[in-house]
Amino acid sequence: MLRGVSDDVTQALGAEQQRFEAALKEVGDADALYELQVQYIGKKGSVSKLRGQMGKLAPEERKAFGMAFNEVKKAIEAALEERKEAILGAAREADLGRVEDLTMVDTLSAVGSIHPITRTRRELSRVFRKLGFDVVDGPHVEHELYNFDKLNIPADHPARDMQDTFFVDGQSTKNDSNLVLRTHTSPVQIRTMLGREPPIRIVAMGTVFRKDDDATHSPMFHQIEGLCIDKGVTMADLKATLYRFVSAFFGSDLKVRLRPSFFPFVEPGAEFDMECPFCPTNEAGEKLPSCSVCKGSCWIELGGAGMVHPKVLQACDVDPQEYTGWAFGFGIDRMATLLHGVPDLRLLFDGDVRFLEQFPC
Amino acid sequence: MLISRQWIESLLAPAPGGARLDDDAFADAITSLGLEVECVTRYGEGLRDVVVAEVKGIEPHPGADKLRLVDVFDGERTIKVVCGAANVPDPGGKIAFARLGAVLPGGFEIGAREIRGVPSEGMICAEEELGIGPDSDGIMILPTDWTPGTPLPEAVPGIEDTVFELGITPNRPDALGHVGVAADLAVKLRRAFVAPSDTLAEVPTDEGLVSLDAPQRCGRYIGRSFEGASVGPSPLWLRVRLHRLALRPINNVVDITNYVLMLWGQPMHAFDRARLAEGRVVVRLAKAGERMTALDDAKLELVAEDLVIADAKQPQALAGVMGGKDSGVEPGATTLLIENAWFQPGFVRSSARRHQLSTDSSYRFERCVDFGARLQGAAATAERLLTELAGATVTGGVDVGGTVPVPPNIVLRAQRVEALLGMRIPDDEITRVLTGLEVALEPSGEGTWSCTPPTHRPDLDCEEDLIEELVRHYGLDRLPSTPSVPSEPPGLRVDPGQREADEQASLEDAVLDAMRAQNLHEVLSFAFTDPSDLEPFGVPADRTVTVTNPLRIQTSTMRTHMMPGLLRAASLNLARHARAVRLCEVGRIYDWPESRPQTSGPTAEVDAKLPREQRRAVFLICGGARQAESYAGSDVATIAASVLGRLGARVQLRPADAASAWLHPGVQARLDVDGSPVGEVGEVHPDLMRQFEFPEGIRAYYGELWLDGLQGGHVARHQTLPRFPSTSRDLSLEIPIRTAASSVVDALVTAEGNAEHTADGPRLSQGDTAGGAIEIVEDYRGKGVPEGHRALLLRLHYRAPERSVTDDEVQALHAAVVEAAVAELKTAAASIRVR
Repeated sequence: MLRGVSDDVTQALGAEQQRFEAALKEVGDADALYELQVQYIGKKGSVSKLRGQMGKLAPEERKAFGMAFNEVKKAIEAALEERKEAILGAAREADLGRVEDLTMVDTLSAVGSIHPITRTRRELSRVFRKLGFDVVDGPHVEHELYNFDKLNIPADHPARDMQDTFFVDGQSTKNDSNLVLRTHTSPVQIRTMLGREPPIRIVAMGTVFRKDDDATHSPMFHQIEGLCIDKGVTMADLKATLYRFVSAFFGSDLKVRLRPSFFPFVEPGAEFDMECPFCPTNEAGEKLPSCSVCKGSCWIELGGAGMVHPKVLQACDVDPQEYTGWAFGFGIDRMATLLHGVPDLRLLFDGDVRFLEQFPC
Repeated sequence: MLISRQWIESLLAPAPGGARLDDDAFADAITSLGLEVECVTRYGEGLRDVVVAEVKGIEPHPGADKLRLVDVFDGERTIKVVCGAANVPDPGGKIAFARLGAVLPGGFEIGAREIRGVPSEGMICAEEELGIGPDSDGIMILPTDWTPGTPLPEAVPGIEDTVFELGITPNRPDALGHVGVAADLAVKLRRAFVAPSDTLAEVPTDEGLVSLDAPQRCGRYIGRSFEGASVGPSPLWLRVRLHRLALRPINNVVDITNYVLMLWGQPMHAFDRARLAEGRVVVRLAKAGERMTALDDAKLELVAEDLVIADAKQPQALAGVMGGKDSGVEPGATTLLIENAWFQPGFVRSSARRHQLSTDSSYRFERCVDFGARLQGAAATAERLLTELAGATVTGGVDVGGTVPVPPNIVLRAQRVEALLGMRIPDDEITRVLTGLEVALEPSGEGTWSCTPPTHRPDLDCEEDLIEELVRHYGLDRLPSTPSVPSEPPGLRVDPGQREADEQASLEDAVLDAMRAQNLHEVLSFAFTDPSDLEPFGVPADRTVTVTNPLRIQTSTMRTHMMPGLLRAASLNLARHARAVRLCEVGRIYDWPESRPQTSGPTAEVDAKLPREQRRAVFLICGGARQAESYAGSDVATIAASVLGRLGARVQLRPADAASAWLHPGVQARLDVDGSPVGEVGEVHPDLMRQFEFPEGIRAYYGELWLDGLQGGHVARHQTLPRFPSTSRDLSLEIPIRTAASSVVDALVTAEGNAEHTADGPRLSQGDTAGGAIEIVEDYRGKGVPEGHRALLLRLHYRAPERSVTDDEVQALHAAVVEAAVAELKTAAASIRVR
């Protein structure tokens, strides 16, 4: 009787193995293979169940059956593994046969861009921060007190004509609001001097407005302005700072030149030029006069500069006998058009993506 | 301002050694003084072969009625030329004759020609053909005593000249004439300045000529009366000189006033005395409403603030601005009243602006010309020329004075010069320069001077002004490049205001970079726009900020919204090409706020008068012609989430409390961060698409972030990762189409928050799948769902932080959450039900 049980079980084991082998031949993919694995050697699989029969066997038979069971299970596992490898191999081959043509991807529309003026502003900001300047800005709609009066540009003085001004209506009064769209970034100088104690080293960058519109003037444009107030600051220091700035910005040793000029908020006042960094050179490294940027003069006019006028310092409660200071300013748009070779300012404000995408970084 | 080289040279002693600077070096010297040379023009080259010639005989042209054959003697031989002018003088008359080879302005070279079958070897010239005057009516008739053969440029020196166009800054009224430029150059070039030596003739004082009723507005008035003047054309040299300086010759008297203006930089005026009531002038304020016709025919209605030069009855000139038509000097005038005066600059400027008249005269007066020696010199030169050229005799004069500025006394310290410039200027150079500039200099100690500027330099007001004079003449190019040592290292002290400015700047940078990473192109739009562009955005007119004097309507209103700028740009792009348009911008919007927060600080008082400026980051996408590039509202929502994510902010999309009229009513959402609105996204309203002329069928999607409400510099804190698995429950809800999914999610989150919890029990929690604690798995509309409704399949994830959860406890919590949430949702939309 007991022997009968053992025979039956062993026989069943053999039968399951044969059934498995037959079924394995039909299996074509990993899912079916997994199903087969569950069906035979999973927790409740038909082969696994037979192991539960062991308890019914006589103790001396158990060892033999156990060995047989393990052999069958191992054989099944090996066959599954082998089959799995074959299926994966075939799938891999098939996968490797796949083709996707990446050369037809539209890369053009995958790139955004930063406006050349913003890019230039960031670069200016980086250089001046490195030179120890704080970067600040102020309101676009300004009071004449800050845009003119405190900058030594009194009302009814022809110096006000140097800038074509947009006036702004007041909230309730249309006339005599004394509000303007700031014509330069200089009111930020005033705000800074009023708000901080010297030493002051700032650059103010931002949007400014003048009533002017042609190929070389836009009614809205951008300016940067530097201000340094400290004890013992000299015009020679201004020149040294401008030299360090243009050299750092253009990445080469560029001379700076000052020419006397007039801006009401500085005294002495000057215009400053930098050596042209764009001049083509011959094989000997000598500059050629054919440069289209500086027209062969080797100098590029950048902006205005000078020692802060004592009246401006006084207007901001800074004692001109104790402190001296200098200021400079120039146009960011011009710097951007110089750097990127943009021929017409109006292109900057059109928003044509075919223009913008030329400046992806 | 145009300057003649020849005229300047006549005011300078010869250079030491006699070396002549070429024109470019001369221009550089002028520019180095801060009088920027903007343009250099050489005249008269090629006119050496134009000579004085004598008419010897005239005969008709055989083949043309209007032409004549003229025999001219050019000093060497007699030549037959064909001439079409009607005013050829009789034999013995002198004319300007261009020999063969002469090159006239415009590069026209005179060659031998045949005119209607008659050879002509040269040309008899008109002023205009030689470029020395405006007259083209006939040939030039020269004085009969001129010698044939004399090159014309020798006979009239001004013909060959170099003219410099100078940009004179408003601080240099003294340089608005040749005398001032020459005096300045004299110091630079170390050549002596030779002032015109004219002096006023001794004449009886005529007190009645001028009444100065407004001495506070007119600082000085030199009136001179003349008789026997003969008004006619000026001599050639004067006409040429004025023509070179772009002034039109009119008659000798007017030309003399212009000549004096250009020489001394001092405006003056000539009245026809016979046309002045009682032959005298009164310097007085106008009566409100008084009328006057200006020389240029402008009808002026005067106000009480205007200063006028009146006769005994009525205004005859707007003082310092323009003369009146009724008393101008015209041919036939014989008696003159000549005015050389000084008017208060600010008032001249006000009058000129009030009447919208800008003249050579007002330009100079408002910059403050001299009331001293130069004013007198101008009067003297005018007097000599009126005598010489118009045959006039001065009969009387008066010189009355009112209030004039007192030149300041300035202490100049050599040590201050060095402290400001960072460069030493030797004491002897200081005295040379300042003395040369006519600054009265008095040593008042070691390296210290007491200085009084001349009356023609009103800009010299303080020590720094004198230092500028020194550095101008000593040479700004000699300034060294020496960094000074700051009193404390930069960056050591961080101003609180600066920290805020830096944070704002880095926030804008981060947002811009994030937008760029979303394949958006940054544009810059004008901050002002057409008010009709802003109408859809609903800011009332009394809260918009208006430009008083716009260039045109498109620059008249400060933008209250960023969308029009992007719509304009997008529309322009679509009109130009068929590509997809993805734009972004960071900028400001402007309005008058209904109320504003109280601020303090040194600028608070001014700031309270300014409009509000708010910062916005905006983006707009719209498909081009290609189908693959058409977008949906979800695209802008994703962009917003990504950009805000760059700031460390988790965005929540919520239905707007009140729909934005500029967005499609069914496709818009508010952006919330930490429960506060920070922007909005949606589809641009179809009406706006039409207003901005987009092609039919194109949709655009827009998003904006309100940067002022956002924090940059987010420092994230670490949170422990879950160690135990999450369990999920699905919920299918039938809701009206217009009920936002976010409302359902919010209701569930609120219900879960209010539900009873054990201390370590399950909570709604971020699952192990892609979405949040509550995922929206499916949004189904169609069969099986009632009209106007949709079926939302949600998956809620539960997890306990410190242990595995059981099905039972999750089920209990889930059931409670759903029950409470659905009850809450039904209050807003009764048709909501669990499927």
